[in-house]
Amino acid sequence: MANQMLELVQGLLYGNGLRIGKLSPTGRVFAMMLGKHGDTIPFMGPQIHDHAMTVARVPARKYYWDAKLLVDVQIAVERWYGFDTYTIIPDAYNFEVEALGAKFIYSDDAMPTVDTNDPLIKQPGDLDKLGPLDPSRGRIPMGVEAARLTCEKASGPFAMGFFCSPFSLICQAMGYPKAVRALKRDRVFAQELFDWAENQAIFPYLKAQSEQPGVKQSSGADAWAAFPNLTPEMVDEWVVPSAKRLAARGKKELGITVMAGLAAADYCEEDPAKFDKEIMFKCWETARKTFIMDVALSAMGRTQDWPMEWLQEFAVLNGKGGRKLPVYASLNGRFIRDSSPQQIVAKIREWIDILGRDGRVLFFIANVPADAPPVNIHTAIHAVRTLGRYPIAEDLSSIEIEPPPFQPFDEWLKGQPEADAILKAREWKPA
Amino acid sequence: MSEEQYQAISQAVTEGEDEDAGRLVSEALAVGLPPLDILQQGVIAGITQAGELWKVNEFFLPDVILAADAFKAAMAPLKPHLEDADGGQHGRKYVIGVVEGDMHDLGKSLVIALLQSAGFEVIDLGIDVCKTDFVEAVKEYQPTIVGLGAYMTTTMLEMKEIIAELESQGLRQGVKVMVGGVPTSQEFADEIGADAWGKDALDAIHKALELVGV
Repeated sequence: MANQMLELVQGLLYGNGLRIGKLSPTGRVFAMMLGKHGDTIPFMGPQIHDHAMTVARVPARKYYWDAKLLVDVQIAVERWYGFDTYTIIPDAYNFEVEALGAKFIYSDDAMPTVDTNDPLIKQPGDLDKLGPLDPSRGRIPMGVEAARLTCEKASGPFAMGFFCSPFSLICQAMGYPKAVRALKRDRVFAQELFDWAENQAIFPYLKAQSEQPGVKQSSGADAWAAFPNLTPEMVDEWVVPSAKRLAARGKKELGITVMAGLAAADYCEEDPAKFDKEIMFKCWETARKTFIMDVALSAMGRTQDWPMEWLQEFAVLNGKGGRKLPVYASLNGRFIRDSSPQQIVAKIREWIDILGRDGRVLFFIANVPADAPPVNIHTAIHAVRTLGRYPIAEDLSSIEIEPPPFQPFDEWLKGQPEADAILKAREWKPA
Repeated sequence: MSEEQYQAISQAVTEGEDEDAGRLVSEALAVGLPPLDILQQGVIAGITQAGELWKVNEFFLPDVILAADAFKAAMAPLKPHLEDADGGQHGRKYVIGVVEGDMHDLGKSLVIALLQSAGFEVIDLGIDVCKTDFVEAVKEYQPTIVGLGAYMTTTMLEMKEIIAELESQGLRQGVKVMVGGVPTSQEFADEIGADAWGKDALDAIHKALELVGV
């Protein structure tokens, strides 16, 4: 295992101009975050659980119940692609409500999904019937084990447990329309819902994670709180205070870093004709309040159509000490799936020209679709590695990028430490 | 007086005041205002206005959700009278469902509310609908359009199977297929041979009307 402190120090020095030695992948991220840039623009691991399952050809009914398999598959697939960091996440929105008794459907080739037609909370009185989450129920033990394994096997600054953030949990428990109605029409009930989500549902899960060796942080995704599901004003009013409460309680009582509300206020307007600079700026400003690092964040939105000059302008305006905010430039998962390698290269070339010349940018893919062609992902990484090499070439259009040759996953897998677990899982049959 | 009542209904629907919307429609019916006028000048005007505000970034999804709720509340007392007044529906049938393995129905609920406001007769197959049920519904209801929704990148692949099944059973020529849902895209719709992709609920209505030639 690499020495993270050395990687951090090397990244810090490298990013600030003292370029000694060869940067590790994690050091590359540190250089970008703590300085200006490393040797190339980093490519961070994405949310990839569906896609990794598809690439590794393991059955969903095994993959989503077996912590070791889930972690091994994602590590293997992310290493096959060559991301700079691992991001290991299961179907993070489901664990708490499933353990509390919500009705789910399970299928052979997709993640478990909650049945919002028969929700856990149908009326306010139902809240009283839902006792605190029992961490021995449902797939909570698997989630806790996945957190432990992630921190053991992946390590680094992005190794952490996971949970479902309060607003998204409320949506999972009662459906988004009713959750929104509560926020807009019944503030007392809405506050009771947040209190329940934070303290009865999430906290016991965090506590169980914190008792595992190596688990020092846990992050809570909150895609239901993205824009336009919630406005940035609603996120400011409800989600940000809730995230702060959870973070404070996690620190005080569990001694871990709890990051709730991730992806809240993420600008996910789908219609380019409606892209609005003022609203985007509000969203990015609000998103900063829930992110542990101060960054200009794009994630799940239709970023391929964004005027990236706006994100650059936001990062520069809000930077400190003469440096812009670090920019997380997310390639939309559907764009990666639906585009040709040439279109992907062209987009990356355009973004590096706008966002990359002054450093402080990393690329990632938000939520890789199950059926995204692997050649597109390999091409994206190759393009960022080549076009994003510092100093950035003056004329990026003169650099030709072809889809790189790569070994098919099964050939590559031979001899890898995860091979046995993956190959055995393919033989698995439900009892 | 009637103009004021229609305006009040419209405003209640736009602003998502479901209790007011239902009550105001009942009051309008009670004083004998024509159900079709209540529908057109009150209820549909209200939901249309919500849609317009959505288009220009003055309304956001929470506002649209509340407006759709108010639309439903307004339609509840109105619907029996409309069937009397209009002899039923308008002859444009739309079968809609969320594909097998997928339970997410927010988008579908919004699309249904707006389709109804646009004069479609909607047959809602619900969520987690298998390929066979879609095909049987097309046979039974002979809709103008069938709409397939999915939320997950795994379940969306089922849409391709449904279209292939409609082809293999000789039903595809007689029905337009629309797809929608978070992971879908125009490229995906083209790839699987759908006739249209709705990027959001309002876009879906716009495309549906185009498909039926309105």
